[in-house]
Amino acid sequence: MASFQQFDVEYEMKVDLSQWHPIASSSDLPLRHVYQGQLWGRELAVWRADDGHINVWENRCLHRGVRLSIGLNEGSELRCLYHGWRYANRTAGCTYIPAHPADAPARTICNNTYQCVEVHGLVWSAIAPESSFEGQGVLEGLEPLVLRPIPIAAPLHLVQKLAADYPFGTLTNRDDTSLTLQYGQAKLQLFLQPVDAGKTIMRGLLTPAPVDSVAALRHHNATMTALRDEIELAATRLDPPTAINVKFAPVAKGLARMPDIDNAGPKVELRAKVARKWQVAEQVMAFRLEALSGQFPTFQPGAHIDVNLPNGMSRQYSLTNGPGETDHYTIGVKHDIASRGGSTCLHDDVQEGDVLAISAPHNNFPLRRDAVKTILIAGGIGITPLLSMAKTLKAQELPFELHIFAQSKDDLAFPNILHNLGASTISHTGLTPQATCDVIAGVLANYTPAQHVYICGPGAMLEATRELATKAAWPDEAVHFEYFKNTHEIAFNTTFEIALSRSALTLQVPAGKTILQVLRDNGIEAPSSCEQGACGTCLMTVIEGEPDHQDVYLSTTERAANQKIIACVSRSKSNRLVLDM
Amino acid sequence: MKLYDYELSGNCYKVRLFLSILNLSFDTQTVDFYPGQEHKSEALLRLNPLGQLPIFEDADQVLCGSDVILSHLAANYDKSGLWYSPKQRLDIDKWIRFADEITATASAARLHDTFFYDLDIATARAGAERLFRNLDEHLWFSEQRGYDWLVPTRFPTLADITCFPYVALSEEGGVSRADYPAIRRWCDRIKRIHGFIPMPGIFSTSKAA
Repeated sequence: MASFQQFDVEYEMKVDLSQWHPIASSSDLPLRHVYQGQLWGRELAVWRADDGHINVWENRCLHRGVRLSIGLNEGSELRCLYHGWRYANRTAGCTYIPAHPADAPARTICNNTYQCVEVHGLVWSAIAPESSFEGQGVLEGLEPLVLRPIPIAAPLHLVQKLAADYPFGTLTNRDDTSLTLQYGQAKLQLFLQPVDAGKTIMRGLLTPAPVDSVAALRHHNATMTALRDEIELAATRLDPPTAINVKFAPVAKGLARMPDIDNAGPKVELRAKVARKWQVAEQVMAFRLEALSGQFPTFQPGAHIDVNLPNGMSRQYSLTNGPGETDHYTIGVKHDIASRGGSTCLHDDVQEGDVLAISAPHNNFPLRRDAVKTILIAGGIGITPLLSMAKTLKAQELPFELHIFAQSKDDLAFPNILHNLGASTISHTGLTPQATCDVIAGVLANYTPAQHVYICGPGAMLEATRELATKAAWPDEAVHFEYFKNTHEIAFNTTFEIALSRSALTLQVPAGKTILQVLRDNGIEAPSSCEQGACGTCLMTVIEGEPDHQDVYLSTTERAANQKIIACVSRSKSNRLVLDM
Repeated sequence: MKLYDYELSGNCYKVRLFLSILNLSFDTQTVDFYPGQEHKSEALLRLNPLGQLPIFEDADQVLCGSDVILSHLAANYDKSGLWYSPKQRLDIDKWIRFADEITATASAARLHDTFFYDLDIATARAGAERLFRNLDEHLWFSEQRGYDWLVPTRFPTLADITCFPYVALSEEGGVSRADYPAIRRWCDRIKRIHGFIPMPGIFSTSKAA
């Protein structure tokens, strides 16, 4: 046994945040559990999603700072126990804020995450890695036995010195945070996880895995426990260690300053590879888009992306993904005979392996998750955003019905997904317009408070459904809809003035130019997407004046209130329009 | 059936939890444990001379102490016969003793921190850590053998019910469970028992996959 005196010296802890360390055993991460970990003083919330992906996040909800390790692992989202904010698997982006049920949370609301790798029964992470994980001496091709980890109330340097006493063959290798011991053919690797200034976890891998694994686990558990007691006794003779100074990363520069002035139109900030292209219904192709590296940004159900096509066009497509799926986006594209070229280009020209520029997801069709019942009504390819909604509702076990109207069975897109959604999905095929209206009238017949309906489909069906909902006493705010496109004729022949209240700027909008164009001509950033009054991305708040609405995004109530305007198509009936920007 | 109950008491919660799991309805009489010290009042001392909660009335019987009440409920109302089965009784009784030690340490630390009891907090917390190390080790090896519960059977027993509350409330006494991952997983499993109810400081968890 080593004497204590030789370690009883002043010691300053070397904090090296760049190294990878094991932070958990694989068996610490069963499904629907959140493991509480720590590395170099930083607390971690570690959870495995139902798809197997392991998330290592800073253990702090960015809303009120409550530990996420007491949150709820719901399979594809982690829910904070305090105010119910939901964060997506993989990206840690916020997907839902219960206090704002009708709004899509900003994409910038995202928890801090750490990289992680699962190898040989251990989960590895690093606070600020300078290189990717390289195995750290873990044996290739062998499945080691993962020993029970033992937390030790002692600083790393003391554990590192005394661990050399571990009674197992001879010490063949050691560095600051690991030791290798050899006993005949058997090799024991001990990893020392620097938890905090005064705490270290000893983790062991034994290769080859012995025949009687339980006996080996018991033996090493007893050995490590005895060693722990010895080290902890030695630690009582040391001065208490100085705490590790934990600095949290400041807000990213891009978020802390005003964005650059940008004259460009819809933004295409991401590159995506077409990983798979396949037919999912008559005239409908699905595209699985994958990020060239890492994950795609967080999205919420109802979101769409702008896809830039090889022919120079930009088109909007809804994401069909379920919650937490940000390793890929899947869109469904119907070949439109009357296409201006978008769907033809995707169907005929874009092939697997091609790289497309896409925007981050916009969500102007957000799903409330506080309805007593949600009704989803899809016409044809209008199913796409509703698939994402249905998957979310199903994952959260919220009551919903999905009604799909299509010409024939062959026109029902994504049949596998529909099948998995189960009994809540009802398809109606081959109905005449009148018969369709009769079915929808039946579906909408018994409105009770806190029900919500979401409709996406062709213009005529949408208008008819909205009328039926109004007749059945559905309030406007319970009826949510998304048009494919704006088929109304748009007049650009008026002239008016816009005043930007917060910028103290007055601009003239001449005939032939839109509000959006005038803003951009003057160097003012304004987000947009479809630029035809359908998607709602360029929604602005009106303080004064009477808008001339030409969009298909706002509801009847919203139009009448004159407090909102879709800047890409709508104009002004009054000479002056004061906008809150 | 009537429970003399204090909402923040882990021992009263054991009884409420087991009553809920057995799907039994009962009346409660709230006792002002803190700050009123009503459990030391003459009326309640007549029911339980030890001056402790919970107290439980069933027909004309008066039962005192959570373990006595739990075994009474198991003997009379557990149709499955699994919660306190004669086959496991000795093993379960061992954990009932263990739970007493948890009460003497983890619960004592909580009484100090949240109810301002005058006691040696360092000793209480160190005692709790020692017990939690044992408990975590036991549960870790049980998991290795394919068992979810304290007693190696396919079903939870009174051992789990009686050990759980003051473990799950330990943070209120300044004892973190971060070093005890097997205990944290076991707590999740208990929260998924059909009939589980929360209490202040013990929250529900998500549904199983």
